[in-house]
Amino acid sequence: MREEVTYRVGIPVMDLRGETLGRMEKVLFSASLHHVTGIVVRSLESLRIIDLDRVNSVTASEIRTSLTESDWHASPIFDPSQYEEVPPWFFPPGYRIEMGALMTIKPLDVRLGGEAGALSRRAFMGRSVGIVAAAIGLTLLVPIGGYIMAAATTPVTDTWRDLGVKLLDLPVDEPVQKAFRAVAVSGWMRVPEERSVWLIRHTGESDRWSRSADQTKNIDSPLERRNSDPRLTVLSPICPHLGCAPQWHNGQKLFICPCHHSVYELNGKRVSGPAPRPMDQLPVRIGPDGSISVIYEQFAIGIAAKVRLA
Amino acid sequence: MGQKILAYLEERVRIRALMSFLLDEPIPGGSRWAYIPGSMVLFVLILQFVTGMMLAFYYGGTPDHAWDSVNYIDHLTYRGFPVGRLIRGIHFWGSSIMVIAVGLHLLQVFLWGAYKRPREIMWLIGTVLFALTMIAAFSGYLLPWDERAYWGTIVGTNMIGLVPVVGEILKAAIRGGVGLGALTLSHFFTIHTMILPTLFILFVILHMVIFRRVGPAGPFSGSPEQNEATKDTFYPRQVLMDSFGMLGVFILILVLALFRPPGLESVANPSNAAYSPTPAWYFDWIFQLLKMVRPEIVGVVGLPVLIGIVLVFLPFIDKKPVRSPFRRPISVLSTLFILGAMLILSLMAEHGYKKLVDVDRASMQRGQVVFNHSGCLGCHAVFGKGGKIGPDLSEEGLVGHPLSWLEVQFVNSKANFPDSIMPNFTFLTKQQQHDLAMYLSSLGRMGWPDPTKAQP
Ligand code: FES
Repeated sequence: MREEVTYRVGIPVMDLRGETLGRMEKVLFSASLHHVTGIVVRSLESLRIIDLDRVNSVTASEIRTSLTESDWHASPIFDPSQYEEVPPWFFPPGYRIEMGALMTIKPLDVRLGGEAGALSRRAFMGRSVGIVAAAIGLTLLVPIGGYIMAAATTPVTDTWRDLGVKLLDLPVDEPVQKAFRAVAVSGWMRVPEERSVWLIRHTGESDRWSRSADQTKNIDSPLERRNSDPRLTVLSPICPHLGCAPQWHNGQKLFICPCHHSVYELNGKRVSGPAPRPMDQLPVRIGPDGSISVIYEQFAIGIAAKVRLA
Repeated sequence: MGQKILAYLEERVRIRALMSFLLDEPIPGGSRWAYIPGSMVLFVLILQFVTGMMLAFYYGGTPDHAWDSVNYIDHLTYRGFPVGRLIRGIHFWGSSIMVIAVGLHLLQVFLWGAYKRPREIMWLIGTVLFALTMIAAFSGYLLPWDERAYWGTIVGTNMIGLVPVVGEILKAAIRGGVGLGALTLSHFFTIHTMILPTLFILFVILHMVIFRRVGPAGPFSGSPEQNEATKDTFYPRQVLMDSFGMLGVFILILVLALFRPPGLESVANPSNAAYSPTPAWYFDWIFQLLKMVRPEIVGVVGLPVLIGIVLVFLPFIDKKPVRSPFRRPISVLSTLFILGAMLILSLMAEHGYKKLVDVDRASMQRGQVVFNHSGCLGCHAVFGKGGKIGPDLSEEGLVGHPLSWLEVQFVNSKANFPDSIMPNFTFLTKQQQHDLAMYLSSLGRMGWPDPTKAQP
């Protein structure tokens, strides 16, 4: 007979004649033999060990033994100091404690009552706990997700920055790097910052350089399309490959990025190198007096599309 | 799938046995609602950990950034939902609820006599956790660096200075110098976010380990056999009760956070001598004692220390095994008496505070228009703009003038100040007077600029 029996500590232990000897207190488990060797029974005056061989049957409500009155009094006294108390999880992996040929006891269930109804109630309560925990967790995690994303998704506001140079002061078809002061915003902090852009003046529509590569490839956003001028191309100083700063080489008439040698023409067109797209053209406005203002946009690097960063 | 994962973990970490160890803890006498306060404390503590980490995400712990960063958090929205205000609100109210939960837990353990042998050490660890809770509440108070925080901490640390012999040196060590400044803020921030959480984790683990060693005390009445017979495991019934308790606490904190968000007063101003600070409500009774008992040292240091000593030594003085509160009338009644006294003192303190006007936002906004168009700025300055003839009104809302006083001030200022040179603005309608008074009551307390909107 190998079946799992669940029973409570504290159920009565009977002798041969069906008289109660005491109540089940502990299961003795031999670590070396890997099975239960006996049970400890508490009577009014003592704690005694009953050998497993003397156990006839175990049910959810009682344990019957083949002990007589005098056998009981001859049973060894249980001395707790000679045993080590271990929690259920101490038992070896896949622990099923063999109680001789009698049955299998799962120590886990030693404390559970034997009623079948208790199990479904238990499952129901378990589900309820799960639902409550999920409700609390979700209600907390959703705002936290929003909280973390809030700063990341705060929209940037476009500000036109006057560069302080006049169009007519610039050389034709030769890039000029123009630095200007901007404000970097991070959370509650506003820090003044030095930035720069490339300015390339053209003679007008007829100038072969007046159309930027971004325009030719038609990857500009409406903002950039609305604010462009055939007399001036403004290029971002940031290399679309991995963010270094391409430099103008007057001898070759090319922009060359020092990091991985992406090479661009005057209108930003990529000639060679690993860059995935042309140099980024920025929105520009030219005032009646020739003053130049730009919006300093930043774009995702490393991809072919021109995607503005929030 | 779930079964497979379970089987995988079972083979490697023996997950079933572990879960059984965690969940099958026997509770003598069965599960009860009375046992939930401890779990509530743990729950709120976790809530504080989570929201605290979130706040630290955006907090700047120096006097020139702390206030701005808290104001920034207050304005953070995600898809129009005020997430920043919510997270800060949960943390703010969580601290109050935590104090209450710890108090209830302490009281329950006391009434049940559960601190008696063999649970003395667990009780001691519990008193340490209680102290940590109060220190956490106190140190967190300063971090927003507004007027309330600054002046509250001035008073709080001055009280530490009253301790004989070591007081002054202790105070200087905590403040990082003589006055309150950058070092005080970084000291408090470090205490609040590094030292205390570490200690909390350590002592909570100790508390739980000891709890599992000695087991729950169970009911104070009933024979061991009865309690054995009605015994229950921790899971599922007690776990379910605990989770319902947590849900209730969570909803309470959420409602408070949403409908009573913590305010932010104007940035700490060390030269604002007129500010009258009030402590957080759980220190109200000390505040009241401070006013009533002379010399101060008795109320400020004597009583809390006495309470601490009683808490620490309780299980060693009270060694009788009897646990029922009905059979320990003297200690129970005297405790209830002290709690009652603390309650009365707190109510007296609250009663003594100047009530700040409950600002109605719509009325306040109308009042701002009235203020800007009635020539008030000719004489009064607000946030650096305006004249210097009359007093600066930037923090008028913190002074505590009632609406009625303000309304009289506009039309007949001689009634309030006989020597006043302020003209009488009798052309204001009753409604305008009310709105204007609302606006003035809001100054220094709310309506801060939104740092998430870019300024030109
Ligand atoms: S960063 Fe410019 S080529 Fe790589």
